[in-house]
Amino acid sequence: MKKNLLILLFLSMLALTNAFAQGKKVSGKVLSADDGLPLPGVSVKIQGTQKGVLTDGDGGYSLSLTSGQVVTFSYIGFVSQSVTFNGNTIAVIKLKADSKALAEVVVTDGYTTQSKKSYAGSTVTVKGAENENKPFSTPLGALQGEVAGLNISSSSGQPGANVQVRLRGVGSIGADSNPLYVIDGMIINAGDLSRNSTTSNVLAGINENDIETIQVLKDAAATSVYGSRGSNGVIVITTKKGKAGKTVVRVDAEAGASSNLKVPESGRPVTGDEYRNLIIQGMTNAGKTQADINTYLANGFNGASNNWYDLVTKNGTQQQYNVSINGGNENTRIFSSAGYFKQEATTIGSNLTRFTGLLNIDHNISKRISLNAGINFSNVNQNTPSNGGAFANPILAAYFLRPFQLAYNADGTLNTSRSGNTNFGSVFNPLYTAANDVKNLSQTRILTNATLKWNIWDQLRYTGYGSIDYDVLEEHQFWNPIMGDGFSTGGRGYDYYTRYFNWLTRHQLDYRYNVPGIEDFYVNATVGYEAQRSQQYYINASGTGYPLTQPLLTSLANSSTPTAASSAFSNYTFDSFYSLLSANYKNKYAITGSFRRDGSSRFGTNNRFGNFWSVGGVWNVDEENFFKQQNALSSLKLRGSIGTTGNASLSVSSNPNYLARPTAGYGNNYNGGTGQNFNTIGNPDLTWESQTKFDVGADFGFFKDRLGFVVDYYRNTINQLIQQVPIARETGFTVINENVGSMLNKGLEFAVKGVPIKSKDFTWSTNFNISFNHNKVTELANHLPYVASAGPSSNSNIYVKEGYDIQTWYTRLYAGVDPANGNALWYTDGTKTATTTSYAAAARVQYKQADPKYFGGFNNTFNVYGVTLSADFYYNFGNYIQDAWASYLTDGVYYGTYGKYASNLRAWTTPGQVTDVPKYIAGGTNGGQSASFSSRFLYKGDFIRLKNLVVGYDFKNFDVVKKLGISKLYLYGRGTNLWTKTYDKNLPFDPEVGFTGQSNLEVPQIRTFTIGLNVGL
Amino acid sequence: MKFNKYIYILMAGVMGITSCKKEFLDEKPPTAVPVADAIKTENDMSDAVNGMYASMRTSNTFGRDIPALGDILSDNVYVSSSNSGRYLQENNYSYINNNAEAADIFNQSYYTILQANRIINTSIASSSAVGQYKGEAYIVRALNYLQLVNFFATPYTVNPAAPGVALVTGYTGPNIKPSRNTVTEVYAKIISDLDSAYAIMPATSTHGNSSYYLSKYAAKAIEARAYLYKGDYAGARDAALLVVQGGGYTQATATGLSAYWANNVGSTNKVETIFEMALNTATNNGTNGLDYEYDQPVGYGDFLATTDLYNQYRATDARRAFITAGVRKGNGLPALIVSKYPNVSQSDRDDIKIIRYSEVLLTLAEGYARSADEVNALKYLNQFVAQRDPSLVYASTGTQLINDILNERRKEFAFEGLRFFDLTRTNQVINRPQMANSAPSYPTVSLTDFRRILPIPQAEMDANPNMKQNPGY
Repeated sequence: MKKNLLILLFLSMLALTNAFAQGKKVSGKVLSADDGLPLPGVSVKIQGTQKGVLTDGDGGYSLSLTSGQVVTFSYIGFVSQSVTFNGNTIAVIKLKADSKALAEVVVTDGYTTQSKKSYAGSTVTVKGAENENKPFSTPLGALQGEVAGLNISSSSGQPGANVQVRLRGVGSIGADSNPLYVIDGMIINAGDLSRNSTTSNVLAGINENDIETIQVLKDAAATSVYGSRGSNGVIVITTKKGKAGKTVVRVDAEAGASSNLKVPESGRPVTGDEYRNLIIQGMTNAGKTQADINTYLANGFNGASNNWYDLVTKNGTQQQYNVSINGGNENTRIFSSAGYFKQEATTIGSNLTRFTGLLNIDHNISKRISLNAGINFSNVNQNTPSNGGAFANPILAAYFLRPFQLAYNADGTLNTSRSGNTNFGSVFNPLYTAANDVKNLSQTRILTNATLKWNIWDQLRYTGYGSIDYDVLEEHQFWNPIMGDGFSTGGRGYDYYTRYFNWLTRHQLDYRYNVPGIEDFYVNATVGYEAQRSQQYYINASGTGYPLTQPLLTSLANSSTPTAASSAFSNYTFDSFYSLLSANYKNKYAITGSFRRDGSSRFGTNNRFGNFWSVGGVWNVDEENFFKQQNALSSLKLRGSIGTTGNASLSVSSNPNYLARPTAGYGNNYNGGTGQNFNTIGNPDLTWESQTKFDVGADFGFFKDRLGFVVDYYRNTINQLIQQVPIARETGFTVINENVGSMLNKGLEFAVKGVPIKSKDFTWSTNFNISFNHNKVTELANHLPYVASAGPSSNSNIYVKEGYDIQTWYTRLYAGVDPANGNALWYTDGTKTATTTSYAAAARVQYKQADPKYFGGFNNTFNVYGVTLSADFYYNFGNYIQDAWASYLTDGVYYGTYGKYASNLRAWTTPGQVTDVPKYIAGGTNGGQSASFSSRFLYKGDFIRLKNLVVGYDFKNFDVVKKLGISKLYLYGRGTNLWTKTYDKNLPFDPEVGFTGQSNLEVPQIRTFTIGLNVGL
Repeated sequence: MKFNKYIYILMAGVMGITSCKKEFLDEKPPTAVPVADAIKTENDMSDAVNGMYASMRTSNTFGRDIPALGDILSDNVYVSSSNSGRYLQENNYSYINNNAEAADIFNQSYYTILQANRIINTSIASSSAVGQYKGEAYIVRALNYLQLVNFFATPYTVNPAAPGVALVTGYTGPNIKPSRNTVTEVYAKIISDLDSAYAIMPATSTHGNSSYYLSKYAAKAIEARAYLYKGDYAGARDAALLVVQGGGYTQATATGLSAYWANNVGSTNKVETIFEMALNTATNNGTNGLDYEYDQPVGYGDFLATTDLYNQYRATDARRAFITAGVRKGNGLPALIVSKYPNVSQSDRDDIKIIRYSEVLLTLAEGYARSADEVNALKYLNQFVAQRDPSLVYASTGTQLINDILNERRKEFAFEGLRFFDLTRTNQVINRPQMANSAPSYPTVSLTDFRRILPIPQAEMDANPNMKQNPGY
């Protein structure tokens, strides 16, 4: 019904149109001289008259002109141009930017291209050029700290690791909180699509050098067009397109090395002597005799002092090479690139190799029809060591192995013995498993798209779009039969094949209506239809029993006993209708509205469709006459929007695509016979989480916009949270997924961009952003608080309770060490009035939060006599992070079993001593519970990091270079993660642990040093 | 305007596509079917029966927790001081309303009952096979209610009017909030289900004589157990007699006992096993298996036999071979190690015996003994014991005879989880031997101890306002 109404509205608008033909009808185009991109919203005026139009989304305009009339093209932030009409045509106009500070002129949200000036949404555009060649394995790595409101954190330093992204806070409890990713119009399957690898990321297949822009869409006006998938924000990546003109060839090369970040002293594994002394100290404190101690030490304490952290880490290599060609003419343009990227983490067995290729072709089939086609190929090959408590995890080994355990036999071969105290009874010899086990992922992705644009007539355009996102993941795991997980079965192999075939098609009509009789007043209307289907297909196979001394034969075909083989699929569809309507009066006032109706296969038959809408408004105060009366501000735009979005991403569930259906599932086999159980309770009413977003913001500039500010306040209410609601067990089930509960995110964002100094020989440009987010859970299922064993944090030390931040810690409060006797003390409750030595007697209380209160980044770039120096910083404050493995590595429990942190050297020894580490007693103090989880192991997660530092010089002006026809010859040196400032002296590890707020013995973050060369021909 | 014609056509085209097909949004799952359409043929029903058994097999119920608790809570077995952290609350009778095993048993039993209800309530053309399958479902439902009512409610022999558990006989959606039926009502349902099963099941099962499936006489054998737990000894006697006379089962012999327990592939010869859960290579409970709790050094070996139990066996008793004096892995202390489940290191693991012919014989003996027919009681007791401790012949009478039968039950079903229920149905104080190398252990469970009944899981209490918690929790 609504659909019909919209069609009616659309048709009536068409009917209103009349041709006001006079003079000659001239069509033209306005582009940005900097990047060749179309400029929408440019004022095109006939001098001496009141006649004029604004350019459309493609920079196009049409006017009736008579020969000799002068047309002026003007646009904020650009130098105006005037052209005299020769009676025939007007050439393509290329406007030059008059200031680099506020270069965001258009917003491309995947559906339309709009002028930033009249755009009501809150978005940030990051130009690809800003992050080219940065040695991060995913584009998100470079994006960290660059966009206000966008928090990016990785728990792992594994090259190609999945990166968690939170836009304006945690957006969900039971569904995913990561934003939607759109590449060249395609809504992709994002995140970690692997099934066996420790971590992976689809975006690792995107070459930073292929990116033209990344747009981050935040508020309702920007995201409601994505309907049921817009709640967590949208990240729109646009790849480079060819530009008309001289063909530009670029060669970029960068190579260098990676090395460890320094392990904080508190978390340094102890040396052999220190370990021995701790044993003696612990056993003495436990009342053991010297004879006991001697006997104990005789069992293995061989004087060796292996630094296992050093043994499992090394200096790696880092390199990337990119070549691109960009050129063409007005009718056909291409951009083509090829890239190679290789990164080794410092942890043994952790690396990534990537090949990428991109080809984008634009072709004008006729005056009115144009075609764009693109193909983006990538292959990412990753080796990912295990994480967490897996005995095969090299980082677990770095901390848990004791200094006297022998990595090598006397003859120099690797030690594979499993019995005896100096060998590997539990945690494996990581050097052997790293050399002989395999955990590999090869991910090949082909992302293609084609867009056909037909300008049916000047005001009406049809756009047909199709895209295929084809992704194949081949995962191979091998456990050798000698040492490690494969020992008990004589070797074990797993193979996982996963294929995604994801297509999307879109048909869209854009109509521009110039309101007759009113100058510079026009209405844009868009209607479209979109359908998407993603099909996952997968095969698993495994086997045991491998040749004992043929380490190269890891393929499953070598196994003697197949143990499993299966395959299945998992699909989803979306079916959508959308419409956009905006009105712009003289670029002074603009209002926008959107409506989208989504249907999804993921949801219950009763609630399969949902409607999403937004309205927004813009007031460009700087277009008012009164604005010109003052000199302080050079520009001022006020904007606001309100609207709704949904969250359809059930990817945190193990059954995301079929959760809503009450089904009997097979695979519940018995005695070799097929079996089915009613095992999915389903819920025909299940539907998306809905979010109401409110945003007000101001963009203002000073000094001819050389200094620009963007300020936003937002308030997002999330309702219909998908939660697992407990039900009576007599049903046969324990929980049902229902839409209940709500949560609130509100916050403030502030960004500054400026060029404080700009002279011939010295330029200083800078930017800074900061974001504050406040999260509050406002309603839970049955109002019952619960320990988060699932959801955004699968950390059982997080307590989800109404009225609190979703990531609030739930912990006993550590009261320090009793100076009289060295016992650990805890507060009995949150009032901190009484202490106890009994861990059990201390109550758990809500304490601090795992998500940051504010975060952001800043950049300073200096250019002195052609030498550039650029530094990117990222910072994060207000969160507390947990050492999840402290109970093994701290205090005297496991005193001779596992390695120990150097923090134990601070243990209490004499009465009256004030320290934070209890007496070191073999078997443990406080009944062995001094090291159990308490606020003692929650550390301030605050930090500032120098992420990227570059010093370079462009030799393009040297005569010899010019003679070679080289337009650019930029040589630079770069360092990443060079410096990190933390604010908790007891923090035992790097503060970037991801959004769980919990360390998990992951591959540590790395530092890289590289030298690079960019050549332009 | 000249373009309008094209525009309207184009728009009509676009909107035509927009009128999306309903099927486009109807993605079918790869391994599941709508529950309403899941059972339409005999084959579907066979699949559902397999699924039901698969549910019973998990470590949450018959695969481990039920037989484990049946011994740990009694005087047969204790948890070593060197342990994997499992069953410590049960060993020390310190469980409260969040006890994991109580919740697991409660939840998984109702999940199995859901599967059974689905089969029972499906109407398809009746046939011999359908009778077999529905009969199996009736027995499974009865067996699960029998376990539930004995874990979570006062024994019938103590107070038949006490709250039992909620009887649910069909799925009516997620929002039910049932209250507890009385113990009497639960037993009535159990016996009625077993009678139904016996009535509709064919004499010749679709499964042949495989010990891995429930059969017509399994219904009677389990009914004998239900009557016994209920204290209806005549009923127990009659049901057991039917099995003995018509079932065609024989006992495993003393010399064959070790081979009988080592067998991990089931049987069709009707020797000893009336029903056991198949735990084979593809479908077993791994490190969560019952065998893994008893076996060492491969398994955890947390569960050790008490000296008191060991001392019940005479040197000539074939069953004593299942307990070996050895050393506990981990702490090196002397321990009585249980070897009734020897297949932990095999890929095809130990099956779980649910009901055996020996139980029927001992139930029959007890049924006779308690209905004043000591001649027949002794007849079956001695028939039984001749295949275990061949030199032993009972001639006792009165209370002593009943105690002898109960003691034979203890010896025969040790590590199979029946002992606790023998102690509770006969309302005895449980004297739990205090072993030197035990994890913290609770010595004497008096008749008034509230922990003789497990707690209703707190999560159930939270979700179901009509549920009443057991006293003390």
